[in-house]
Order: sequence, then C-alpha cells, then structure tokens
Amino acid sequence: MSTNKIEIKNLTVNYTENKHSFNALHDVSFGVRSGEFVSVIGASGCGKSTLLSVLEGIRKAAGGTVEIDGKTLRGTGTERGVVFQHYSLFPWMTTRDNIAFGIKQARRGIKRGERLRIADEFLGKVGLTGFGSKYPSQLSGGMQQRAAIARALAMNTEILLMDEPFSAIDAKNRVILQELLLSLWEGDGSEPRKTVVFVTHDIDEAILLSDRIVVLTAHPGTVHEIVEVPFDRPRNRSELVKTDAYGTFRNRLLSLLYQDVAERIGGEEVVI
Amino acid sequence: MTQKRRFLRVTHLLFLVLLLVQIILPDTSAKETNTGTLIAFAAGLEILTLAVSLFIKKEESLSLLLDIVGFIYVVLTVWSLATAKFHVLNDLLFPAPGRVLAQFAEDRQKILVNIVSSVGITLQGFLLAAVVAIPLGLFLGWNARLGGAATYITKFFSSIPPIVYIPYGIALLPTFRSVSVFVIFLATFWPVFAGTMSGVLNVDKRIIDSARVLNVSKPEMLFSIILPASLAQIFLGCNQGLSVSFILLTSAEMIGARDGMGYYVKYYSDFGDYTRTITGLLVIGIVVIAVTFAFNRLQQHLLRWRK
Repeated sequence: MSTNKIEIKNLTVNYTENKHSFNALHDVSFGVRSGEFVSVIGASGCGKSTLLSVLEGIRKAAGGTVEIDGKTLRGTGTERGVVFQHYSLFPWMTTRDNIAFGIKQARRGIKRGERLRIADEFLGKVGLTGFGSKYPSQLSGGMQQRAAIARALAMNTEILLMDEPFSAIDAKNRVILQELLLSLWEGDGSEPRKTVVFVTHDIDEAILLSDRIVVLTAHPGTVHEIVEVPFDRPRNRSELVKTDAYGTFRNRLLSLLYQDVAERIGGEEVVI
Repeated sequence: MTQKRRFLRVTHLLFLVLLLVQIILPDTSAKETNTGTLIAFAAGLEILTLAVSLFIKKEESLSLLLDIVGFIYVVLTVWSLATAKFHVLNDLLFPAPGRVLAQFAEDRQKILVNIVSSVGITLQGFLLAAVVAIPLGLFLGWNARLGGAATYITKFFSSIPPIVYIPYGIALLPTFRSVSVFVIFLATFWPVFAGTMSGVLNVDKRIIDSARVLNVSKPEMLFSIILPASLAQIFLGCNQGLSVSFILLTSAEMIGARDGMGYYVKYYSDFGDYTRTITGLLVIGIVVIAVTFAFNRLQQHLLRWRK
C-alpha cells in the first residue's frame, strides 16, 4: 500500500512526428507525497512538459501507469488544477468569469452568485482586486498568471500541476510571482497543503519552491536523480540566496543538469 | 477640443456654398427641380451635424463625420450645377438632386414597404443559414475525420455562384419569397460553414488543452470553448454571406418580384422614370450600409475581448 498521493510507475511516452516515432520518456518512476511540492527540472526537450501532460490526463502513456490515491489515472479530472505557461485563461471570458468557470467545473453544485463571490475572493488573494471585469488581453503576462493561479486555487483541487507558469514573465515579476505562489501554498497552516508538481527550467525557482527536485535527462527522458531540498520553511528568498549552503546546493544541481549535456557533447572539452 | 476646432470647419463653408449656389443661380432646366426641397434637406443635415458636433467627444470622430457631410455637400453642389443650374446633363436621365429628394419624400411609404420586404427576406435566409451552418461547422470541424471530407465538399459547393440556383429554385419552390430565402440561405450557408470549420481547425491547441484539463463536457467544449475561440472566422464567413446576399436578392427582385428595392429600381427604369431609379439606388446603398454597420457593431461587441 503506497502512501504517495501521486505514484508514477515505469512511465514511457512515445511521440510521433512526421511518421517518426521517438521515445520522449523512458521508464520514469517516482512518487509525490500528499502535500509535497515537487519540481521537475531538465534541459529543454527532456520531456518534463510531456510528463506533466500525462499527469494532466491530456496525453496517453505508451507504457507504465500513473496512480492518484492508489487509483490508476485515466484522462482528465477535476481533482487536478492546472496552470500552463500560456492560455490557462480563456481570452473571451473576464478574469472573474474565467475563475467562476473553473469553479463550476471542479465544484459542481455551487450557485452562480456564490461562484462569482469565490472568484472575487481569490482574485483578492493574488492581488488582483478590481481586475475581475478585465479580459486577459487587458492584463500583463504576470497578471494573467496571477489570475490563472487564482483559478487553480479557487477550484480547490488537492493536486496542482504547473507547467513552466513563470517562464514567459520578466525576471522582476517572476520573483514576485514565485514568492506569491510560495506564500499561498505554504498558507497559514489552517488547511492542508496542496500536492504540487511544478515543471521549470529555472534552478533557483525550483530550489526556492520545492521539497524535492526531480532532475530529468533527455533523449529519452529518464529520471537522472531525485534531490531533497535541504532548506527549512518558511523560506525567505533574499536570505536564502546569501547562504553558502544555497550556493553549494545550486552548484550540485547545475552539475547534475549539465553532466548529462557534457557527456553527450564529448566529455572534458566542454567547459561549463 | 476648443470651440474653434469644434465649429469652425470647412464643411460648414461647403454648406454655405451649396446654399448660395441654390439661392443666387437661377434654375435653367425645364423640368421640375425642387430646389426648395434640396435647401430644406441641406439645412436639416447642417442642423443635425451641428447638433452632433456639440456632443461628440473624440476629435477624430468629429472630423470623420464632418468629412462625410462635406462630401455630401460637394456632391449636391456639383450635381445641382450640372443639372438644375447649367443644364449640362440630359434632364430626363439626370434629374436634379432636389427632384430625387422630393421623390423620396413622396414615395416614402412605398419605399418603406420595399425595404421591409428586402431586408426581411435577407435576414430570414441569412439567419436560417447561420443557425444551421454554425453548429454543423462546429461539430464537423471538431471531428477531424469528417472535417477533412467536409472541407472539400464545401469548396465544391461554395464555388458555384449562388445566382445560378435561381432558375432551379423557381422550379422547386412555390413563391418568390421562398425562392429568395432559399438562394440567400445557400449563398450564406457555405461561407459561414467554411468559416466555422476553418475557425475550429485553427483554434490554438493550448486553449483546447486548457479546456480539457477543466474536464469540460462535449457540448461545453463546442459551445463554451470552440465557438467563442473561432468566432472571428465565423464572422468572416458571415460578412461574406451578408454582402453576397444583398447582391443576390436585388438581382432576384429585378427578375421576378412584386416588391423589394431591386423591383422598385427595375420597375421604374422600365418606364423611363430615372428619378425613381436613382432614388432607389441611393436607398439601397443606405440600407446596405445601415445593415452592415449594425452587423459590424454586433461583431465588435462579441469580439470585444480581443486586443
């Protein structure tokens, strides 16, 4: 009997492109505990987004299984909230309606007025009070992602899947959003934390947010190593990055990421 | 905007020129010129323009309005000079502007009946086509396999100019109205259907993924996600259908109708009543502009979420 919230077992995913089939993920296995924040990092093309799309239920695996609460995952489901890099929000709905639509899908039986009230409440939590009647095109990229996070949280799912949600945001706002997500996820302890699988290529983002980091290597995507993040919560970014332990840990992750690249290109000649 | 920018414009000078031409120069045409009607119309237009100028907020909108009104004054001035004043043009073929305006006022009841008939038929055929084509296009576009075949079939049918359906429609259907509705239906159906299908096929995959992870049902996917996402291209098809519809209807009315604007123009030109012919042409222009304007407003409203 597994105690993991999400259990990925021997997952293999094949892609077919122009009649050529290639192996995007090969024999990937790891578990995510309930209330745990796990990041998946790796160079581009390592299959990290593919892995997440299997968890989202929009891509089928060629082999292996994903279990949630011990039950094999089949297709999409409203126990999982998702935030994408782009187009999490529907451009023809106002931010308030976008969030209300998510609530309607995930929490059936809540009346429209109540949905709108919850939507406004979560808009407030992500700092978008007063932006409810704006369309996504009227918001900056960072504000759009705030609204997308608000929707995922308002849906009140136990699992949150995030696919490079801050990659398209400028550096300054990215830091602000990471801290917002961290504080919302850590919460005040009154509610159980959500189980999060967070895909990124940003090492600092992964360290700041995660309990554990899964490092993938490419062609085919396999689990290179799973690293425990040795920093206590609640974490403070500006203090954390000043410590030696942070630098050491970051270097270790970097070498894990690039070791693979170096080996592939030709050993010692590559200077990183 | 200063009061000067608001009211001291060339358009008002053009109005005065038009007015002076009418008052100072005598009419030389032997035919009725109705110069009084022309003056009344121009004065009415000027008062209306001034009234609107008072309330308009954006300077660009005011300039646009004034340019259009100025153009009307110039046309009326030149027109009256060439007809009533100097009699350069044949007055049987080219009635004076005042005459056309007077004819419009005289025939307003008849013209209204014809407009109602024409617009009614167009809207009936158009809406019927949209109501059938959009859901069908959504459904077939979403089912990729059927969508492929449907694309080619649509290409074939939309390549047939709808006007050639008219004789067959007359053989098939009992009344002029039913034939017209049928032909407009066909003329609108294919472009709207093709627009909807291509809209569906071009919906960003990321939007569809975003909807799928929210576990939307199939009807919700079609009508809450795919429909709004492909609305811009649906409107492209609708616009095309609407403009073809007017061409078709007026043509059809000239062939076999007992009312409608096309009938009005054809009927009176057969009698050599070119005053009414020109009145009819202008009315058709105004009606088509009005319908298109209303439709564009609807489009802008429904697509207001786009950048």
